[in-house]
Amino acid sequence: MKAKISAMMDGELEAHELSEPLSSLAADQEVRESWRTYHLISDVLHGDAILAANCARRVSQRLAQEPAMVGPLPGPVRAPERGRWFVPSALAASIAAVAFVGWIALAPQRGTAPAVAPAASLAQTQRVAEPPRVPVTSATQDYLLAHQVFSPRNSLQGMVPYVRTVSDETVQKTK
Amino acid sequence: MSRALGAWMLCAVAGVAQAQASPEALDWLRRIYLATEKLSYTGTFVYQQGERTETSRISRRAEAAGSIEKLEVLDGLPREVVRTRDEIRCYLPDSHTVKVDRRRDQRSFPALLPAQVSSLGEYYTIRMDETRRIAGYDCQAIVLAPKDELRYGYQLWADVQSGMLLKARAFNRKGETVEQFTFTQLAIGPVPRERLRPPTVGRSWRIEQATVTPANLVQAGWSMNADLPGFRKIIEITRTLREAQPVRQVVYSDGLAAVSVFIEPLAGRAEAPAMGLASMGAVHVYTREVANHLVTVVGETPAASVQRIGDTVSYRPPQ
Repeated sequence: MKAKISAMMDGELEAHELSEPLSSLAADQEVRESWRTYHLISDVLHGDAILAANCARRVSQRLAQEPAMVGPLPGPVRAPERGRWFVPSALAASIAAVAFVGWIALAPQRGTAPAVAPAASLAQTQRVAEPPRVPVTSATQDYLLAHQVFSPRNSLQGMVPYVRTVSDETVQKTK
Repeated sequence: MSRALGAWMLCAVAGVAQAQASPEALDWLRRIYLATEKLSYTGTFVYQQGERTETSRISRRAEAAGSIEKLEVLDGLPREVVRTRDEIRCYLPDSHTVKVDRRRDQRSFPALLPAQVSSLGEYYTIRMDETRRIAGYDCQAIVLAPKDELRYGYQLWADVQSGMLLKARAFNRKGETVEQFTFTQLAIGPVPRERLRPPTVGRSWRIEQATVTPANLVQAGWSMNADLPGFRKIIEITRTLREAQPVRQVVYSDGLAAVSVFIEPLAGRAEAPAMGLASMGAVHVYTREVANHLVTVVGETPAASVQRIGDTVSYRPPQ
């Protein structure tokens, strides 16, 4: 079967020969593994760098570009069979691609400071440019005290939040 | 797996549908408010912000004529803050300075009054949470989850018996803690007057008195627009900071979180301050220059909210 899969990949099979490898791809996990492996090998030979991502993305792109076949197909390959294996693998490929892109996009954010909400993610807002980061300065203490006096949180916490106004972080830098 | 997903989706849908606050949780907020107003206590609490922790002692003596409160930082230099009915004094031994902020009128203070608690439900989903023992007290937790990303969420733990707040946690949209206050020891009951005596101040100490007068920024040519939903202007004043020129201050609040905008002339400054964003736990400070003035926005909100308010500040010379 693996030989037939390989031949199919290389476009060496006639239309009437496709039905057997296609249905085995739909039914057999091991055959699907071979299919992926052959594609990886092919990618390596062609010098593609990010194999997994490329493979998944290309498959889903190809599928998206492919026109929907509505009319009867010539030859013994029947549309439902083709649909049966293509749909799950297309779905799997899309999920893989999305998961991979998602992982790439999210990964670097894990180490960032938790206190700052990225400006771009504000739901109801326009996009705001990220301002430069500056250290807490001696003047901060004065502003904090002037602000704290008016914070409604004092009503629930009494004087506790005032600790911010004399916090080590501001006092140390007053010198 | 699919059942868990279904249950999660059901919760998410229920969360959206149930926009109003739980009446029981609102009653708890009112209880916390009353306990803060009425109780006498002394205790030790830990302030946590990022990697930093700081331990402080707090004493409060409720009196008919007005309460007295004192906060002493126990780590590092012994900084103290004493609050009476009329003023707040910060004692800073390293710079030999006492900062005094007089409270000119009780009514002008934007307290969160019990009657206003229910309006918090507009911007926060307020619900009951776990019960947990903190510093020997059985506590009930209340969660105020923000309905947008313009404010932080809060988790509050209050003593079941007295309503006293034992722990408060502010969290961001990912649920990560940005700031936390936790009592590690607390004794509720009468506090002797000696506990609240202010520290002795030497002759060399400088006293910085802040004077505060009402102001009208629009008349002075300033305009700003807190286009953040729920943030309303609550006070507008002119004040002194340090010994510098008068500074204009406008405070916006959603009833729980507050943002202050300070405007002062840049002229006459020895050095121009760095413009940008500084962060300290749940507090963000955003500075920018507008019409040769320094605009400083200080708020207990996510950085983007502070920045958005600051970016709307503009000046047009009055006619």
